[in-house]
Amino acid sequence: MVLTYKNIAPFLTANQNKVSRWLSYIGLGVGVLLLLSSVQMYININHLIRDKNTHKNGADFISITKTITNENMGKDNRFTEADIKDLQVQSGFIEGAAPLKANAFKVTAGAGNMIPFSTDIFVEALNTNFIDTVPESFQWKEGDPIVPVIFSTDFLEMYNVFAPSWDLPQLSEKTATALQIFLRCHGHNGERQFKARIVAFSDRINSILVPENFLEKQNKEIEGAENVNASRVFIKTKDANNPQLLTYLAAKDYHVNKDKTKFGRVKGVLQAIVSGLAGFGVLVILLAMVLFSFYLQLMIARSKDNLQLLLTLGYSPKWLSKTVAKKWIPVYIIIIITSLLLTQLLHWGFQHFVMPAREELSFFIDWTVVAIAIFLLALSIAVNSRLVKKSLVKL
Amino acid sequence: MQISLQQVVPVFLEEGKTASSQLWNQTLSFTKGENIHIVAPSGSGKTSFIHFLYGLRKDYTGKILYDDNDIKNFDAEKFSTWRQQYISIIFQDLRLFTEQTVWQNLEIKRLLSPYHKESRITAMAKRLGIENKLNKLCNTCSYGEQQRIAIIRSLQQPFDFLLLDEPFSHLDENNRQIAMQLMEEEAAERKAAIILTDLKKIEYFSFERVLYL
Repeated sequence: MVLTYKNIAPFLTANQNKVSRWLSYIGLGVGVLLLLSSVQMYININHLIRDKNTHKNGADFISITKTITNENMGKDNRFTEADIKDLQVQSGFIEGAAPLKANAFKVTAGAGNMIPFSTDIFVEALNTNFIDTVPESFQWKEGDPIVPVIFSTDFLEMYNVFAPSWDLPQLSEKTATALQIFLRCHGHNGERQFKARIVAFSDRINSILVPENFLEKQNKEIEGAENVNASRVFIKTKDANNPQLLTYLAAKDYHVNKDKTKFGRVKGVLQAIVSGLAGFGVLVILLAMVLFSFYLQLMIARSKDNLQLLLTLGYSPKWLSKTVAKKWIPVYIIIIITSLLLTQLLHWGFQHFVMPAREELSFFIDWTVVAIAIFLLALSIAVNSRLVKKSLVKL
Repeated sequence: MQISLQQVVPVFLEEGKTASSQLWNQTLSFTKGENIHIVAPSGSGKTSFIHFLYGLRKDYTGKILYDDNDIKNFDAEKFSTWRQQYISIIFQDLRLFTEQTVWQNLEIKRLLSPYHKESRITAMAKRLGIENKLNKLCNTCSYGEQQRIAIIRSLQQPFDFLLLDEPFSHLDENNRQIAMQLMEEEAAERKAAIILTDLKKIEYFSFERVLYL
C-alpha cells in the first residue's frame, strides 16, 4: 500500500482555522482573476486603439503651425530656420523638431485611365525619423522611374467618402498601393511628369509625403526655390500634454494639432487604469499567499507534536513535506482554472455587450493570459511547497 | 546490521562515573540476533543511552556507528531510512498520538514499512489483552494499556534492533511475561537483536549479555 496524505491527515489539525484558509483561497482567486482580466483588457485595448495611436517608442509626435489670425493673415506665417532651431533647443520638453517641407511648385495628380480623376494636390517632405511607417522603398534618386509616396490614412478615408458621389471606385489600402499615380509638376521653369506609387500609409502625418531629396530638387529646378520655409513643423515630445510645452507653444502663438494624440492619451489612460488593476491583482495575490502562509504555519505549529512524532517514528521529512504540499495542488488548479474561465467569460461579455461587432477582438482570451495563469499556478505550487518544507525543517 | 560504540560518554556525565561503567567510554559492538540487557539504577543514563542509539540526542563524545556510519553525521532523512527498516523502539515515555485511536496509532506505524498484515495487529492486541481498546482514543487508556500499545506499535515494522527503554514499568508480572515473550518471538522471526534497559535484571528475558551502566 502506498502512503498518501489521507493516512497522515488525522494527525494534522488541517481543518482548524477554516476562515483564514478560505479567505486565502478567495483572495488568490480574486487576485488571479483581477490580474488575468486586466492583462486581457490591456491586450483588447491595444487591439482596439492600435490603428489610431501616434504614441510610439514612448513619444508623442505632433504637428504645429503658426496660428493664423486676422492680424497676421497677410504675412508669411511659415517657420523660419531660427524658429525651428529655437524649437530644437527646448530640450526640457521637446526631443526633436523637423520641418514639414512643402512644394513650391504646383502639382496635379491623376490615376490615368483606371480612375478618371485628377486634382491639384500638395506634397511635403519630412525627416524619415519622424514618420511612423517608412518602408525601404521610400527612397528616390535621379533617374528613378517611380516616386515613392507615403499617404495619410485620413486622406484615403476622405477620398472614400466622396468617391461614390463622383462615380469613382472606393479604394482599400491594398488597392491604393497598387495604383499608378501620375504627377504633373509645373512652375516657373517648366513642367515635369512623374509616375508615383503609394508605398505606405501614415496614421501620424496628415499629408502626402515624398522623399526629401526629390522635393528639394524639384523645388529648385521647377520653381527655382531653395530652402523653402515650412508651414508645419513636427515635434517629438515625451508628453503632448506637458504644461511646459503647452505654455511655450502658446507663448509663441503656435497652434497644436492634437487630434491624433487624443487617442494616444485615451489609450494611455485606459492602459494605466488596467495596469493599476493588474497591479492591485498582484497585490491581492501576494496578500493571499501571505495569509495562506500564516494558515500553513499555524497548522504546522498546532500539529507540531504529531509531526515530530511521525519523524521520530521514521517518517521521512522529504516525504512529509511533499505529501503535505501536494494536498493543495488540486486546490490551486481549481482556483486558477476557475479564474481563467471567468476571464474568458468577462472577455466574452466585453466582446458581446460593450464592443459588439469588433473583429479586432478574438473570441478566445489571448495566449499570454493563459501563459500567465500557468505561471501563477507553478508559482503558487512552488511557494506552497517551499513554505511547507521550511515550516517542517523548523521542527 | 551492527551497532558499535566507540568511547561514548554523555557530556553531562559527572567525572569518575565512567570508571565503573561497562558501557560508557568502552568500545563495544552489538550484532543482529544478540539480546543485550542493560541494567542500571535511576538517573544513570539509561534513557539517554537509548536516545543516543536511536539518534534523538547528540550530546555525547565518542562515536556511535550503524555499520560503518557515524550517526552524528546523519540528517533527519537518513535517520528515517534506518528507522523504517532496521531500528524499532519503545520509549520510556511511550510517545503515542494521544488524540488518536489505538488503531490509528498502530496503523500509522504499520503503513510506513509494513511487516505484518492488518490482522496481526488485532491478534497482538488480543494477546496483550487490549483488543477491546483498539477503537478507543489513546488518551482514554491507562498507562499500562498505553505501554502495551507502544509495544505492539514497535513490532509493526522490519528491524534488526529493537530498543526497549523500561518497557514494562506499569505492567503486572503476568502481562510483562506475555509482552516479553511476544517481543522475543518477533525479534527471533526477524533474527534481530533486543537491547533492553531496566532498573533490575529481568529474569524472563533471555539475554546473551548483561551490561551495568
